Amino acid sequence: MASVHDQMAAAGKVKRSKDLPQGVERLKEEHRKVVKDCRSQIEHWKKVENDYESLQERLRTLPDKLSYDIMVPFGPLAFMPGKLVHTNELTVLLGDNWFAKCSAKQADALVEHRKKHVKNTLDDLQKVMKNFQNRADFTDDLEKLTGDTGDFVDIREEVINEEEVTKGKHRLAHKANSKPKQVYLLELEEDKEKKEGDDERTTGVLSEEELWARLDELERQEELQDERYRYTRLDSTDTNGEDTTSSSEEEKEADGGSDVQVNGHQKENGWLPTSITSQMNGTNGSHPEDEEEEDCDEEAGNGLPTIYFSHTAEFKKVRINTGKNTTLKFSERNEQKAQAKRKKKSGKSNGHSPHESYKITSPADIYRVFVDLVNGEPIPRKSILKSRSRENSMCSDTSESSTADFEERRAAFGRSWSHDDATHSDTSDGITEEESPTGTSPRTNGRFEAFTGTVIEKDPLPCSIPHLTIAPPALPTIPERKLEEVGPEAPQEPPKRMSKFKATQLHQK
Amino acid sequence: MAEAIHKKLQSELEKYQQMQKDVSKSMSSRQKLEAQLTENNIVKEELALLDSQNTVYKLIGPVLVKQDLDEAKATVSKRLEYINGEIQRYESLLKEMERKSEQHREVLSSLQQEYQRAQGQAVGKFQKGKKKI
Repeated sequence: MASVHDQMAAAGKVKRSKDLPQGVERLKEEHRKVVKDCRSQIEHWKKVENDYESLQERLRTLPDKLSYDIMVPFGPLAFMPGKLVHTNELTVLLGDNWFAKCSAKQADALVEHRKKHVKNTLDDLQKVMKNFQNRADFTDDLEKLTGDTGDFVDIREEVINEEEVTKGKHRLAHKANSKPKQVYLLELEEDKEKKEGDDERTTGVLSEEELWARLDELERQEELQDERYRYTRLDSTDTNGEDTTSSSEEEKEADGGSDVQVNGHQKENGWLPTSITSQMNGTNGSHPEDEEEEDCDEEAGNGLPTIYFSHTAEFKKVRINTGKNTTLKFSERNEQKAQAKRKKKSGKSNGHSPHESYKITSPADIYRVFVDLVNGEPIPRKSILKSRSRENSMCSDTSESSTADFEERRAAFGRSWSHDDATHSDTSDGITEEESPTGTSPRTNGRFEAFTGTVIEKDPLPCSIPHLTIAPPALPTIPERKLEEVGPEAPQEPPKRMSKFKATQLHQK
Repeated sequence: MAEAIHKKLQSELEKYQQMQKDVSKSMSSRQKLEAQLTENNIVKEELALLDSQNTVYKLIGPVLVKQDLDEAKATVSKRLEYINGEIQRYESLLKEMERKSEQHREVLSSLQQEYQRAQGQAVGKFQKGKKKI
């Protein structure tokens, strides 16, 4: 089918090329004709001008003498000697059968006037000639261009795989499109393998359950990597850009990766995060590290501040206070999806809470980071500085845990602040704590790096009251400023909050 | 059938050619008027350069008739206006003729198509007949 089309196109082209030189030739002919006409006309008018010039000369010299001896023409063939008298009296033809008697000087003036007209005509003709000359030249050039002759060369570069060209700076649309493709590819491969497996039951065949388990593992792993990438990726500034860059990295892995299937699953993971077992961390841990371009200094252990939870309880969402009475829920959409999925599949150990994207490298990051949690969905705030109503700022969790968390977080962020200069945003933003905060606190202690807010647990309690957050106000604007503010303000707040919280608890009871 | 169409085609063609001639005639007369216009303009300007001391003559046939300068000026102006009017008239006439010729052209083309179709059919019939034989 393609060949037929090509043939047709080629045929059309041939036809065109035949017509083209003919048409061009004709055009050139016309141009040349016009130019020739102009030239001849210009010649004519120049002659006229010369005649007028000589006439003027004659007029100037004529009145010098009273009479001249001349040979007067008699008819077409004979001359007679005679005299030219009244040398200053001239009868001038004005045009259209009108005559005027005037002196030589007046005639001279008339001639001047006529010469002006002639000059104007000459100028117009010159312009026209130049115009058409240019047109002719242009058609010549055009012919050269289309005929592939001459000095003009058409340079083309055919891009097969656009992703390679963009060098990792992918646009979201691209990645969004690329993702499903990969998925399908994988499915095909899986099917293929499955088919092969069916032939030989013993080798490599994964039973359905095993397959699901593997899927889950891989998804978890991918999520882990997502977070890691988000945390360390510097060049992408979009909220989704980080996701996509991480996915792109994963794609790179896939391209050169060892285990295509694993990578594919990881890709799937980016979009459909589920819980991941810790096993996969080891296998895929090497890849992100290899491909990471960002500074690995901030990573501890794996390099990134991560919180690993080993218990199997459900995740709890973490709220961060970024204002007086505000709660911000940091999470990527994936994170929330992951958490939702985790909640669904409660019973699996979670990898770690998402907080790679704490890092704020651009203003966009701030808006990404500080997202309101409304009914479990992240809603970007219109203004970070504005605080929400008090209703949303009540914590329903135990105050002890909150304070403990806050303490360690403070310490963590202090460390991180000294450790890393700028852009760590709330590392604890995405912290998800599963059950009792006390169980998690020792772990989190060692992992927290930068923390610019307080972490508050949200219990799945019946209370629909918004959670109280322990955090310094005026957090959102700049991480550095936040960090600075956090220190002094933090100690003051907890006692207040505690009291408030106690009050609410008492009120509840 | 084809013959009738052919005849019609011929008549239409002639009419169209006639129209074209008329158009070209009008065009040429208009051009003449244009030349006269420029000439009279020059005359007017040159008369302005002269003063009343010079005598102005008008050539009527073989005779040079003396004219008053002012009279001459007035005459030339009138002639100019007349020429302008004529040009306008010819313009409108030309447009009309153009339109008519367009219509004729269309008619001609349709007739030609019909004729060709008829001819094709005739040829087909002829060929069929031939084959049969």
